[in-house]
Formats: sequence, C-alpha cells, structure tokens
Amino acid sequence: MSSVTTDTTLAPAARGSRGFAVWIGVLVVLIVVGLAVWIYQLSQGLQTTHMRDNVIWGLYIITFMFFVGLSAGGLIVASAGRLFNVERFTPIVRLAVVEATVTIATAAILIIPDLGHPQRILNLFFHAHWLSPMIWDVTVILIYLVLSLIYLWLYTRRDLAARGSWMALGTKDTSDAARAHDYHLTYILAWIALPAAVLVHSITAWIFGLQISRGFWYSAIMPPLFISSALVSGLALVVILAFVVRRTGRISFDDDLGRFLGGLLAVFLAVEAFLLLSEVLAGYYPGIPTDAVHQLFSGRYAPGFAVEVVVGLVVPFVLLAVAAWRRRPQVVVVASVLALIGIFVHRANLIVIGLGRDPIALPPGTPLGTPQANGSSFAVSSVYFPSVWEFLIVLGIVALSALLFTLAVRYLPLKEKRTA
Amino acid sequence: MSTSYAGIDVPDSALQKATRLGMVVDQNKCIGCWTCAVACKQQQNVGIGLYWLRVLTVGGDAMDVPAGTFPALTMSYQSTNCFHCDNPPCVKACPTQATYKMPNGIVNVNYDRCIGCRYCMVACPYDNRVFNWRTPVQDPPADVAVVGETPARPKGVVEKCTFCVQRTTDGLLPRCVVACPTGARVFGDLDDPNSEVSILLRNRPSYVVFPERGTQPSLHYLIRTGPDAVGGEL
Repeated sequence: MSSVTTDTTLAPAARGSRGFAVWIGVLVVLIVVGLAVWIYQLSQGLQTTHMRDNVIWGLYIITFMFFVGLSAGGLIVASAGRLFNVERFTPIVRLAVVEATVTIATAAILIIPDLGHPQRILNLFFHAHWLSPMIWDVTVILIYLVLSLIYLWLYTRRDLAARGSWMALGTKDTSDAARAHDYHLTYILAWIALPAAVLVHSITAWIFGLQISRGFWYSAIMPPLFISSALVSGLALVVILAFVVRRTGRISFDDDLGRFLGGLLAVFLAVEAFLLLSEVLAGYYPGIPTDAVHQLFSGRYAPGFAVEVVVGLVVPFVLLAVAAWRRRPQVVVVASVLALIGIFVHRANLIVIGLGRDPIALPPGTPLGTPQANGSSFAVSSVYFPSVWEFLIVLGIVALSALLFTLAVRYLPLKEKRTA
Repeated sequence: MSTSYAGIDVPDSALQKATRLGMVVDQNKCIGCWTCAVACKQQQNVGIGLYWLRVLTVGGDAMDVPAGTFPALTMSYQSTNCFHCDNPPCVKACPTQATYKMPNGIVNVNYDRCIGCRYCMVACPYDNRVFNWRTPVQDPPADVAVVGETPARPKGVVEKCTFCVQRTTDGLLPRCVVACPTGARVFGDLDDPNSEVSILLRNRPSYVVFPERGTQPSLHYLIRTGPDAVGGEL
C-alpha cells in the first residue's frame, strides 16, 4: 500500500520537472524582489507607500484581511466537512487544510511591512495590551496557525511514516488501526478547528467593527459579513487549487465534486449578498448625505463597488445557480476566480472608504506628513491607490505563499485513502 | 494658574497636583492666526508637514473661508489639538501600551515602544494623531533651546500633542497657551472647581467635539457669541 502512495505522488514531479523549475524560479525572483523593496522601504520609512494620515491603512492590511479570510474559509469548509461527515469532501480535505495553513502564515507575514517599526514586533508579547482587538488577533492567529499545522500533520503523518519521511516526526506505526486512531483524532480536532476558524476571522472583523471613530465600520454586522466573505473566498480558492492540483495527479476526484462545491459556493454567495444588502440598506435608508455608504454609489470608489456586486456576486452566482453550467469544471473555476476578485475588491472598498472619510470634515484638513504638490501640507481629498513599492512587496509575499503551497503539494501526501 | 512674563516661565504647583489637566479655547477670542500651531511646532520639533495643533475654520468650504451665504456670513475658528479624552479610544486600541493615560489626565506616547501599526490613528475620531511616514525633517533646523527637553521621534512612530508634558509636569503652561496673543487658550485642572478652566465652563456655554461618541474630551470650546455669531460648532 505504501508503495502505491509513493508512486502516485512522486511520479508527476519527475514528469513536469522543467515547468516546475520555471515556476519555482519565477516565485523565487518575486520573493527576492519583494524582500529588496521591503529593505528599501525600511530605509525610507513608509513614505514609499501611498498611505498617509487620511488613509492610514492600505494594500498590506487589505491583503492581510483577504488572506485571513482565505484561511478561515478553507478551514471552516474542511473541518465542517469532517465534523458533519460530508464524505464528498474527503478527496480535498487535506488540500483545504494545506491551503488554510499556508494562507494564515501568509497573513501573519503581511502585517510586518505595514509596521513602522517591525524590529519592535516582540513588544506585542512583552507589552501586550489585552483591551486591544489587535492583541486578540495576534493571539488567535498564532494559536490558529499551530492548530492548522497539527491538523495537517495528523492527516498526513501515517502516509509520511510509510514513505520514511522525516516529517512524520517519529511516527512509525502505519497500521490500519493507527490510521483509524488518527481519523478519530481529526474528528476531535475538527471540533476545535471549526470554532477557531470562525473566531480568527471574527476577531479580525472586530479590529474594524469595534471602532466608534469609523462610522462605516462600527457595526454589529462586521463579524458575520467577514465570515461570509471568508466562506466565499476560502471555498473559491480551494476549488481553484483542487482543479489545478488534480492536473498534477496528486489528488484525484471526479467532476461531480466540482458540481457539489459549485452549488455550495452559490449558497455562500447568496449569504454574502444578503449580509451586504443588510449593511448597505441600513446605511442608505436614513438618507444622511455624509454617510460613507453613499461613496459606494457615486464618486471615485463607486466603480469598485460595482465590480464587487456584479463581477463578484451576481455573475458567479448565476453561473453556479444553473445546474447544467455547474456540471462543467471550467464554469465552476471561472465563477470561483470571479468570486475571489469580488471579495478582494469588497475588502479594499471596506478599508479605503472606511478610512477615507475624514472624521472631522474638511476644510480644516488632515495633515499628511509630507508637503503636497499643491504646496499645502493638508489633505484636499481622501484618495488612495497603492504605490508600485506596495504592490511589489505584496507580490513577493503572495509568491512566498505560492511557493510554500507548491512545496506542500509536492512533498505531502494529499490523497486521502480512507472512505468511511 | 501659572504665568509667563517676558519669556520667563513661572511654575505653578497646582498644575503638578492636577488630576485631570484640560484646556478651554475661547472662540470669541481666537482670531485664527496659527501662532499656537507655530509655537507648538517650535516647542516639540514637529517635522514639516506634521501638525500636532491645527486651526480649523468652522463651516467654510476652505481654510479661512467664512460659513454661510453673503451677507449672512460668520467666521469662527476651532483650534484643535489632542483632546486628551477621559475615555480615550486610542489608549484602548494600542496593542503595546505605547500610548497611555497619565494620572494627571494627559494621554502620552512612549516613542520607544510604539511599533507603528497606526491602530490608534484608526481609533481616534478626531484626526489628532500624526504618523512619521519619513524621518521628521526640520527646516529651519530644530530649535536647540528645546531639543534637550523634547524627546526625538524616529520615523515609523505615531506622535501627537502631549499638552507639553515636559513643561506641565514641571508646573509650566503648554507652549500654545503661553504663545496665544489673545489669551484664547486657558489651561488647568478640570477636577478643581476653582481652576480658571472650571470657572469658565460653569459660566459660559461650551461644547466638545462628537460628545455622542463618549470619548469625554478634556478640551472644551467656549461658543462664539455676539451679534455676528451664528452657531460655532463644526
């Protein structure tokens, strides 16, 4: 049995070694470029970004939220499948756990370039302030990362032991009884992982939703909205990765799973649309012209909201709601890509519009920290678009994420043997 | 009430015993000259492009533009620095306790501990905090007379008005109060019923910014009164 596992998981690597090498090479180049730009940013300060005192957070935090969501969504799907014995998930459950582990690690890394003093990051532990939602988030993300690693190891250690891999970490027993034991352990861990995944993204939502200073954020709907965004984006990414990885032969499932996951994604999209409608309507109905919600319908950021709703919600929902279309893997993958784009734009809108409204209205203006082209030191309007340096750093970190995922797919046994 | 005569500061022990230092700005006296803002930059070596203290124009479309439609125009200023709230959202938000409330009511920043996450700026409803997006630039160079008593701030930390903590803990008035040519700024202990700030707040109508957010600012504005004044709040 172990020899079969070894054969199926190692053969494709030998076959596709050239394309694989190019892929790894591209990722390494992007990582090195990102690292170099980060060093440049450290020398210059955060003036290399286009964040200023009016839009205080930018692409780093947007991408951070996005990756926490990807992770939470992936792990919620994986652990809920295990917890409620949805046998259909079995072929992709390990892949989903790998996705959750890699993306939460990526999210943690994404915080570092946003800090003005990253060398003091340990102050988060030495001088932790427990009233700060940010400390809650740091704590829960670290616990969650460890939990994901344990979860992943429990799923794969018997197969790793069968291969003689060091990653089995001393596990020797590859008997069916031992596998049955681990299978039970993953069930117990799913009980912890599911609420942890819900919590990790709720707390990320509370970083924003508990701040009375920002009317666009200060809302009880933030955690549910974040969870639904996480479910959409997390599942969408798992679907895309599943179809991509299937081409390498490292996992196998039939197209009917794609149909099932597509249907599930349609449900998640509907929930997201419902929560978004609730949020927007509550802001819009009173008719207060200064409410930030009006920026969604007119002005600089209105096209972003249109993309979020049309490209990110309506089109993928229609694609997936029609049963005949949902049967085709291409349609499911395209809908997943659109949903991913939609959720990313949603998060960008949330940050930029939420911060961009000056709490104290212009004309007084917000000091920007650097003299402006118009000769003033004050903001005349609150606009934000990331600088090329921000893009390069984020691209480098995303490349690191892709590299970790590629290596995990290559070296971990992702095929689930067990049924029932 | 401590005073300053011809540049010589006279300490006042009442300020050192204060439990809630606060400020009152009289909009009848404020002429929008920005002397307080300039004095603040000199005292604290605040870099170019950064302001711990700004003079906001009430109601107009741009700075120094009156509110209303001709001939019913009004002009008043809201000279704004950190409100040193009694329930400061920034202090709650800071993950490393780098910003903290002192026993005398001042909200201060520990520049050696700040990791530069800017969550306090997100939490502040008043835009009263600034971030050093670059190493602060002083041009002309920093005032050597105050460099020694003002902590230097590197790039990558958040800074803001400290009610001139290095002066007020010595019983001296904040520099903006001393510098104001019309005496619009009054400083003292809000917990002391006999302090000048408490007496003014008892006898004159006043407001704080965004009272509904529950931050309980320690900086109050005495509302502009008189025949040409309509309202006075932003």
